[in-house]
Amino acid sequence: MIAVAGYTSILVALVSAAALAVQGWRVSHTPDPDPARLKIPTIGLAVGGIGAFTLLEIGILTHDFTIAYVAKNTALATPFIFLLAAGWAALAGSVVLWGLMLAVFTWLVWRTVRRGDGLGVLALGVMGAVAVFWFGLMATAANPFEVCTSVAGSFCAETSWSPLAAAVAPADGVGPNPLLANHILMAVHPPLLYVGYVGFTVPFAFAIAALTRSELGSVWLYRTHRWSLVAWIFLTAGILLGGWWSYEVLGWGGYWAWDPVENAALLPWVTATAFIHSAVVQQRRSMLQAWNFTLVIITFALTIFGTFLTRSGVIASVHAFSLSAVGPTLLAFLAVVVFGSFGLFAVRASAVASSPRMDSLVSREGFILLNNLLMTLFGFTILFGTLYPLLVEAFTGREVAVGRPFFDRISVPLAFLLLLALGFGATAPWRVATGRVLWERTRVGLNVGLVTAALALAAGVRSISLLGIIGLAGFVIGNIVAFFVHQSGRAHRGGKPWIAALGSTIRSDKGYWGGQIAHLGMALAAVAIGTTSVLAVRTEVPLAVGESVVVEGYCIQYLEPFSRTEPERNVQGARVAILDRTCSTTRAVLEPRLHEYPKFGQVITTPRVWTTWVDDVYLSIAAIDAEGMRLKVLVFPLQWLLWFAGSVIVAGGLLALGRKPGRRSSASKRGDRIEHADA
Amino acid sequence: MPERAKSLVWLIVPAVAIAFIVANLWSGDTGPEDPEARAYGLATSLKCPICAGESLAGSQTDLAKDLRARIDEEIAAGKSDGEIIDLFVAAYGEQVLLDPPSTGWGVVLWAVPLGVLAAGVAAIFGLKRKERARTEVDA
Repeated sequence: MIAVAGYTSILVALVSAAALAVQGWRVSHTPDPDPARLKIPTIGLAVGGIGAFTLLEIGILTHDFTIAYVAKNTALATPFIFLLAAGWAALAGSVVLWGLMLAVFTWLVWRTVRRGDGLGVLALGVMGAVAVFWFGLMATAANPFEVCTSVAGSFCAETSWSPLAAAVAPADGVGPNPLLANHILMAVHPPLLYVGYVGFTVPFAFAIAALTRSELGSVWLYRTHRWSLVAWIFLTAGILLGGWWSYEVLGWGGYWAWDPVENAALLPWVTATAFIHSAVVQQRRSMLQAWNFTLVIITFALTIFGTFLTRSGVIASVHAFSLSAVGPTLLAFLAVVVFGSFGLFAVRASAVASSPRMDSLVSREGFILLNNLLMTLFGFTILFGTLYPLLVEAFTGREVAVGRPFFDRISVPLAFLLLLALGFGATAPWRVATGRVLWERTRVGLNVGLVTAALALAAGVRSISLLGIIGLAGFVIGNIVAFFVHQSGRAHRGGKPWIAALGSTIRSDKGYWGGQIAHLGMALAAVAIGTTSVLAVRTEVPLAVGESVVVEGYCIQYLEPFSRTEPERNVQGARVAILDRTCSTTRAVLEPRLHEYPKFGQVITTPRVWTTWVDDVYLSIAAIDAEGMRLKVLVFPLQWLLWFAGSVIVAGGLLALGRKPGRRSSASKRGDRIEHADA
Repeated sequence: MPERAKSLVWLIVPAVAIAFIVANLWSGDTGPEDPEARAYGLATSLKCPICAGESLAGSQTDLAKDLRARIDEEIAAGKSDGEIIDLFVAAYGEQVLLDPPSTGWGVVLWAVPLGVLAAGVAAIFGLKRKERARTEVDA
């Protein structure tokens, strides 16, 4: 029953999406485009999308094992939270979640479109066309409501795409992939990432509509500014939580492995970061119009590419959880997006040709250009490094691999240059920055940077690259804080108390100060990445029960082993105390463990972490038996700072969302007028 | 603080900091590298031969555990990083390297991004020059 209703929902959404695409196109060509004519398809899409997702979740929660997806990815004993997460943990479900979000976003965009707004109407049509692809995928290659037609043991031996086929149910399901059902973050990280991915459909749709209608000014950019920012915030949070998940679950003690799928998630973030910066340049200075079209198309294409890489199995990766015929379909869609968009762009290129009013490279826009160059180079290199093994294999048949050493060597110098550009650019004036102004606005930062680097050196840091990162972070933070205090100083001298003066500075330009808070977060994140990779201590020690060992001033004592049976898994663990360096006072007791999933024949090392203001002490069992165990003891200085810095970045983004919408509208008209005058 | 004293601070503070940093880095020897850090560095730059895109450091397979132990042994036996990497290449072929050597096809891996960098720099300076040409015409 649920399968029939669910599949029907998908068909409703698919038909509505097709109607939206066609109607959007037709209505946008009428003299007075009326979005009311798109109301039925938009609501049909939303109802179908919400319906498909809800019915899949109902199927999962009621253990309807006639649905093959439910039988394969959940079991009777699966805990509630992972049942819920199973709705998006595997391929077909993740497409349903994608469709749900796209449908809801389309409806939200529809609410902003007014009568006579041809651009908005056509953008809705483009979103409809994108939705046709995703719901088409659900109706065919990635059907989440395939039913089980014959059972072998607890497996579905045969399935049928038709929900009307005579269905049978295995007595119990197989259950979720152990790696995905081992930590609560897995329930949160993918939806956040997906909101980010799907969110970029909106600026993409407006860009395509603007190109199609030759409305090449900045209107599409203003209207999608907030959407891009929302998508960027979610993508940032999603990547951050992915790193945290990896740190808490994978047991090797890192948060980033330069794995192809991690790279695929990072790529759209990199180009989107470039885009939200270059969009500001277009809004303020009417420059970079062609470049913004390019960046938004690339970002959208990279979200599809990321899904393709995760879901097609072309590149071996720990995250590539599923293999299927979905790969070629996604690849075809990617090709349509890339060739279609750039084809359209090429046709309009002569008209887009931006009028570059670059007064000086030493200016806010100059530094943002440098940021864009470095970000694009970073993104390109990650993409090239990820695909390089495929290319070499295609041309020579030889197998090669590209991993951490290559990506580290690329990203460290780029991070240095980016921080340097950020330190100068964040406070540099637009148009032209004279040497005097530049010096006035960066001298505090230069001093703070040099002093912090000297202090770090005095504290015992000997790595030149880490000292460089710390110094540059001090430079960035010093400049931004000094500029903030300087700006607020005017209001303070005008009679306001300091707190009120600082507050009014932020309120006067939430877009700018939100950005600066995100920049502070980036600087802190750079420091945390530096300390946790350069200063990390990794040891593996043999311990018998009752024995203790001192690592980096932490006394680690093996108290006792324990084991128990939990739903779906056997737990074998060790109670380990962390004491002060004299081994007299207990400061924490941790229970690192091994989770064995008998049904999957898989053992997962589950680490435990003790966080202090200085270090994370990370314990992970390498081997354990009756006599004792081998315990990995890893110490990561300032690990908490990375998660904190990530939250600061997200908070900055949220503040920037509060930018008064009308504030730049006069600039917009001015920008467009200049552009028309040039044409 | 009088203006003169203020500008002195702007000179003295960075000068002292720079002098301190330079003096320390000049004299400071970083000491022999900790063998565990070396082992981890090697393990992150070698691919686990039977895994899906994981390094020896990241993999939890038994083979990866054995190979990590092998790295520890070789370091204890006094082998250099280069010698240990050669051992792995001899045993598992060049695909075990997560950092492809910059010879032959490996050149492409570095040359293409550098080409993109050069094109980007050229484009930015192009933006600036086009502007200059235009203002000259305007004048």
